Amino acid sequence: MASSLLFDLENPLTSADEEQHPFSDSIAALFAAESDHMSPIAGGHLDLSARRDAVSLILQAQFSCNLDPSVAYLAINYVDRFLSKRQIPSDKPWVVRLLSISCLSIASKMKKTDLFLTDFQREEGFIFDAKTIRRMELLVLGALDWRMRSITPFSFLPFFLSFFSPAQPPLLHALKARASRILFKAQNEIKMLEFKPSVIAAAALLSAAHELFPIQFASFRSAMSSCEFVNKEKLGECCNAVGDVAMDGCDSTFEMVSSSNTPVTVLGRHCSSSESERTVGSSSDDHDLKKRRISELRGALRLS
Amino acid sequence: MEKYEKLEKVGEGTYGKVYKAQDKATGQLVALKKTRLEMDEEGIPPTALREISLLQMLSRSIYVVRLLDVEHVDKNGKPLLYLVFEYLDTDLKKFVDSHRKGPNPRPLPPSVIQSFLYQLCKGVAHCHSHGVLHRDLKPQNLLVDKEKGILKIADLGLGRTFTIPLKSYTHEIVTLWYRAPEVLLGTTHYSTGVDMWSVGCIFAEMVRRQALFPGDSELQQLLHIFRLLGTPTEEQWPGVSSLRDWHEYPQWKPQILARAVPTLEPEGVDLLLKMLQYNPANRISAKAAMEHPYFDGLDKSQF
Ligand SMILES: Nc1ncnc2c1ncn2[C@@H]1O[C@H](COP(=O)(O)OP(=O)(O)OP(=O)(O)O)[C@@H](O)[C@H]1O
Ligand SMILES: [Mg+2]
Repeated sequence: MASSLLFDLENPLTSADEEQHPFSDSIAALFAAESDHMSPIAGGHLDLSARRDAVSLILQAQFSCNLDPSVAYLAINYVDRFLSKRQIPSDKPWVVRLLSISCLSIASKMKKTDLFLTDFQREEGFIFDAKTIRRMELLVLGALDWRMRSITPFSFLPFFLSFFSPAQPPLLHALKARASRILFKAQNEIKMLEFKPSVIAAAALLSAAHELFPIQFASFRSAMSSCEFVNKEKLGECCNAVGDVAMDGCDSTFEMVSSSNTPVTVLGRHCSSSESERTVGSSSDDHDLKKRRISELRGALRLS
Repeated sequence: MEKYEKLEKVGEGTYGKVYKAQDKATGQLVALKKTRLEMDEEGIPPTALREISLLQMLSRSIYVVRLLDVEHVDKNGKPLLYLVFEYLDTDLKKFVDSHRKGPNPRPLPPSVIQSFLYQLCKGVAHCHSHGVLHRDLKPQNLLVDKEKGILKIADLGLGRTFTIPLKSYTHEIVTLWYRAPEVLLGTTHYSTGVDMWSVGCIFAEMVRRQALFPGDSELQQLLHIFRLLGTPTEEQWPGVSSLRDWHEYPQWKPQILARAVPTLEPEGVDLLLKMLQYNPANRISAKAAMEHPYFDGLDKSQF
């Protein structure tokens, strides 16, 4: 192994240098393995309230410990996968906290970031000793079969970006940055758990492209949907879901760029918590405009 | 660990003994392998976590020994990690040895060599497609199911993050026989070619029933290689004379490779030659090897 096996969300399979490893092989391996890393809600027994508590605690920790968002992202991925396999006793709410802390701890080890959760725990009014966290870590690792190199939507961004033209680094960079923000936001949505990571990645990029590069959007969409690994129908469904997430919130890039192909839209500057449908619409006008914009985006993302 | 009953010692690894054991609940046979990875105050160490998760990812292929479980035991208050693998009845070294000595010495059937080599290439291609180099491929690290004719790669990933140790915990010298010339010459840049060189050596060994380059020191190892393949030149392998451990060596001319593997058919010799290219960049890849005409007669659908 050439390097220290550092885990990178975008590159779960390897940390060695690119040139040695033909893209095509690795990507096929990614698509083949992604289903192992899902946390299906249908048929499973994912405890939604436990999930909500865990996510909010992890995001809280990200905020107060100034953690890299990818650590929190990975931790939430572990929580989801754990909850889809194991049930948390409802009379022991502290287990959710312990789970969250342990998943954060594992994620930070995978990313090799230092994590000092003691202060955070104290702030939150609880504290687990090292031994308890250690035991919970092992429980999580066992439940997840030690598959800690999660395949997430981020793993597919570089591949799907290769369908965008013109392939100019600044454009690709902007597209990826926007898509990444959508992905971080989309992780909070329970309904996203239904989709394969690759599908979510493709939908996030399409949504980002629609906002940022409306002219290139159509060709990007058709290039992507001709990809052998993509199920068009699922992608369409996922685009709808991602559309909601992407629209939901205050994003200035959106306002700027969207003015190029639609009458100027002024979105409310509120950031709703993206839990469900927008409920916090500031004025009914805004609300209507926003609704129209969403359905437009949906229309655009619909795949032929 | 109470889940398993130790049956017998089946091997010595670099970090400890490997035991055959039985899952008390299911009766399944497993191999228990102690690791050097210790738990500490901070819980599972990051390196262990990263290495085991890598191993887990690779063991999706049936040509890689499957990691079934990870167990931890308290040893004098120090938790140790054990890896639980599927059990296979023998390794390729023991398998080849049983054809060389013992009551019934005989060559390995050509169809077995062909099939084993194909499976080996398939496993190596799998690792390489995941960006992982094995770096210590050798017959002892290839496990064999004699009944089913299956070969699997073992001993992946652990403890090799930086270097392969030179001595095992029993102070046995780690074998150099399968080590690529660029590694022996101190390259700092490892590529997939290091594994393909080893695959070539293992291929030849299955044919010959003895090692192709049995060196007992790094220098002897290089001389073995040079005597058969000729001393490498700058034309053949640009940059060779600037490698860290390069010296002036006697100038040998390449021998005819087929003479070293007299029973191997010409297509096989051609493939072997492509695996034993000096310049790592010219060495055949595992994936390309699987398409080589040597395998034309093989029913690939079974793999
Ligand atoms: N799953 C298994 N089934 C049967 N035998 C096994 C298994 N794993 C290992 N062995 C036996 O134990 C020996 C040592 O195992 P392994 O190569 O995995 O250990 P190691 O500590 O990494 O050693 P080294 O680094 O020196 O190769 C093997 O050569 C093989 O004979
Ligand atoms: Mg070994």
